[in-house]
Amino acid sequence: MPPALSYELLAKCSVTKARAAILHLPHGPVPLPIFMPVATQASLKGLTPEQLEETGCRLCLNNTYHLGLKPGQATLDAIGGAHKFQSWPHNILTVSFQMVSLLKLAKVTEEGVKFLSPHDGTPMLLTPEHSISLQNSIGSDIIMQLDDVIATTSPDLARMEEAMDRSVRWLDRCIKAHKYPERQNLFCIIQGGLDLDLRKRCTKEMVERDTPGIAIGGLSGGEEKAAYCKVVDTCTSLLPEKKPRYVMGVGYPEDLVVSIALGADMFDCVWPTRTARFGNAITSTGVLNLRNASFQNDFNPVEEGCTCVCCRPKEKGGLGITRAYIYHVAAKETAGAHLLTIHNVQYQLNLMKRARHAILEDKYPAFVKDFFGKVYSDKTNFPVWAVEALKGVGVDLLAD
Amino acid sequence: MSTTLSDLPPEMRAFTILKTSTTLAPRLGRLTLPGRKALETPHYLGNTSRGAVSHISQDNFQKNTSINGVYVALEDFVEKLPRQTPPLYQLESPKDESPLRDFIALPKDTVLVVGARRVPCIPCPTANTNSALSIYTSVGFRQISAEDYAAASRKVRPDIVVGLADIPYGQPQPGLKRIDKMSDRTEEWTKELVSQKNGLDKTAKAPKASYQIFAPILPLAKELQTWYLDHLIDDMLDDISGLAIYHAQFLADLPEQVQDLPRLSFDPPSSPGALLYQISLGMDIFTIPFITEATDAGISLDFAFPPSRSEVSGGEDAGKKYTLGVDMWQSEHALSVTPLSDNCSCYACTKHHRAYIQHLLSAKEMLGWVLIQIHNHAIMDAFFAGIRESIARGTFGEDKVAFEAFYKPELPEKSGQGPRVRGYQFKSGQNETKKNPAAYKVLNAPEESSSEAPTPNPDAVAGDLEKIGFAETAKS
Ligand SMILES: [Zn+2]
Ligand SMILES: [Zn+2]
Repeated sequence: MPPALSYELLAKCSVTKARAAILHLPHGPVPLPIFMPVATQASLKGLTPEQLEETGCRLCLNNTYHLGLKPGQATLDAIGGAHKFQSWPHNILTVSFQMVSLLKLAKVTEEGVKFLSPHDGTPMLLTPEHSISLQNSIGSDIIMQLDDVIATTSPDLARMEEAMDRSVRWLDRCIKAHKYPERQNLFCIIQGGLDLDLRKRCTKEMVERDTPGIAIGGLSGGEEKAAYCKVVDTCTSLLPEKKPRYVMGVGYPEDLVVSIALGADMFDCVWPTRTARFGNAITSTGVLNLRNASFQNDFNPVEEGCTCVCCRPKEKGGLGITRAYIYHVAAKETAGAHLLTIHNVQYQLNLMKRARHAILEDKYPAFVKDFFGKVYSDKTNFPVWAVEALKGVGVDLLAD
Repeated sequence: MSTTLSDLPPEMRAFTILKTSTTLAPRLGRLTLPGRKALETPHYLGNTSRGAVSHISQDNFQKNTSINGVYVALEDFVEKLPRQTPPLYQLESPKDESPLRDFIALPKDTVLVVGARRVPCIPCPTANTNSALSIYTSVGFRQISAEDYAAASRKVRPDIVVGLADIPYGQPQPGLKRIDKMSDRTEEWTKELVSQKNGLDKTAKAPKASYQIFAPILPLAKELQTWYLDHLIDDMLDDISGLAIYHAQFLADLPEQVQDLPRLSFDPPSSPGALLYQISLGMDIFTIPFITEATDAGISLDFAFPPSRSEVSGGEDAGKKYTLGVDMWQSEHALSVTPLSDNCSCYACTKHHRAYIQHLLSAKEMLGWVLIQIHNHAIMDAFFAGIRESIARGTFGEDKVAFEAFYKPELPEKSGQGPRVRGYQFKSGQNETKKNPAAYKVLNAPEESSSEAPTPNPDAVAGDLEKIGFAETAKS
């Protein structure tokens, strides 16, 4: 069965492991590297699908289990899937159970995950088969296997190994249960915590199953950034070149820039959209909290030169919203949160676009240096983990 | 002394009455302001909160609504007074443009009306003084002097400024002395607004003051504000372009000389029926809090004027009245792929369906309220268009009767939770039936009880804005 996607590699960085590609998916092509905004419950923080589309987004996330509980599988089947349900004509990726906090309350057996419904507390059992069945009903373009996730910070290596092996066995069950491989792409999820040997073993097993795409899971759970980078670097080195690589739950701008250099292509994170509601604007000089009184008389756009509808001047068809206005409405009117959400999503997408452009021109190392130079005015403030990780792929951030 | 407005050729008047019969009759008009889309009346203004129509970001306002005039309360912008200059006053805009319009990113051709207080407003515990009005900002109670208000009008340059009215919201029914004060102060404050505007016009260097002034008409019987009205007519008529009416019943008492002025209602109608009643008395322009209140309650408005004839035909349901709105919280919509209203062409109805909107509400996703708010404004646009056509046809009276026979008198009860209410927002609840002061008639009129006046809402705490509106269901 041919996969429901094709990965078209356009360029590779001659120094780092960064790649630029086009991923052709059932609901249209998307550029890689890509940041995917998270619309957990089939809606992104008050934005209409058109507003999300206008940021340039063509692939967003939904959460399988949230949709499974609400509106529920029967409704999704009756309406004809999540695209129709939320009137989103572009691609959807459904993540599984990336809820470490919830997992504390869950009990994992070979059969599946037992947990209490976050909505009404009823006990539920989630099997790999059920997870795939739900995602088949959702109709997402990329579906994720059910995996056994352990917090990377767990010291229990035996449990970690068990989870890794179980994730492989569950992948086999997911592949078997998957009804529509011709129109939905199942991605495996590499587990193994921070143990590089486990990760290598898992990668080998997963790659043998030949899924259309590969995710690196279990990260972004509070581990050291240096350890995170080692895992990503180790996994990508063992992955086939012609498949997309998705690092789950990652989304701070500097994490994205470094992870791309380590050979990752796809990212998702709730932070850029969640933080908008608190008045936090992501800009190329760092995160600005626009609820700070220092912005009350600042009549500049959220970010000069940003092409989002919020920042773009009126003469160019935008709204010409100022930092002072965001200060005025932040945490007071939901419309203010919508505006800043639009900006933050577009910032992330634009960062990916610029990274991609740099890779295509084979100037990614210069791009990385420029990026860190703008966020941190002084080199001595560069995060050590980023300096070290980039050194490992041939970029010396501290050199002139 | 002054020429009356009707002596001016029609093209020089901002407001043209296209059709009316007598006083206390519905009328058709057109408000034309330089550079703005004409406002065909009767019509409504979008009611804003801190510069935005609730739930509707400015890009959605442009793309997905047809609102062509908005009401903005200055109290939403001046929390820094008196210690600091409000940021809005520091924004410089080119030439004659309005800094307020720029600040809130209002489209160039949308009519911008500014008043001191939100509609409905939260009553202030401190009384107004001779020189200042009590207001409620997001950080608490403040006062704004008539002088500052006039200066703010010059600074922010809206299209229309509504004069300050000394109305003792939340206070017991005023005695005769207090009533005299209401009339005296309102006169002084209106004078201040007029003279500051005229002073500005005479300063060659200053930008041309293009805003118009709407003078308040107090919620008092005519004989209790005669003094004020006489001065308004004798001394200020040339400078007054419209009236702000605080009690619809007062339309019966309007002096002859101001009959031709546009009438902006600050007597918020509680239902479409109450709105039709005001229109039947000759009201022209409205601010309508029930639109957003319905939205916050998850109720999608569902009515047309006149009611659709095909549905009127009797059958088994003859005598059964239709509901004015649909409670979208109800799980019966969970599988419905129909639009909010069958004949609505709004964004929410053409792109989405009830099942999704029901899901969004029950998942507490903000988009639910966004979509219902877009729809509810579209329903009001069509409702007013229907009203204007009906007046033009000369069938308003009978259409109104048909509307009342067809629909239930009030909007449906709220069942679901709304979005979080901020301190500065009027909270629907115990006092919601009486947001407006009673029409004070002669002293001790028995039917006017002071207990009906709204009191400050104990839940409306201004300092808790740090909290965030909706719970995150879970991390993904
Ligand atoms: Zn922007
Ligand atoms: Zn509609």
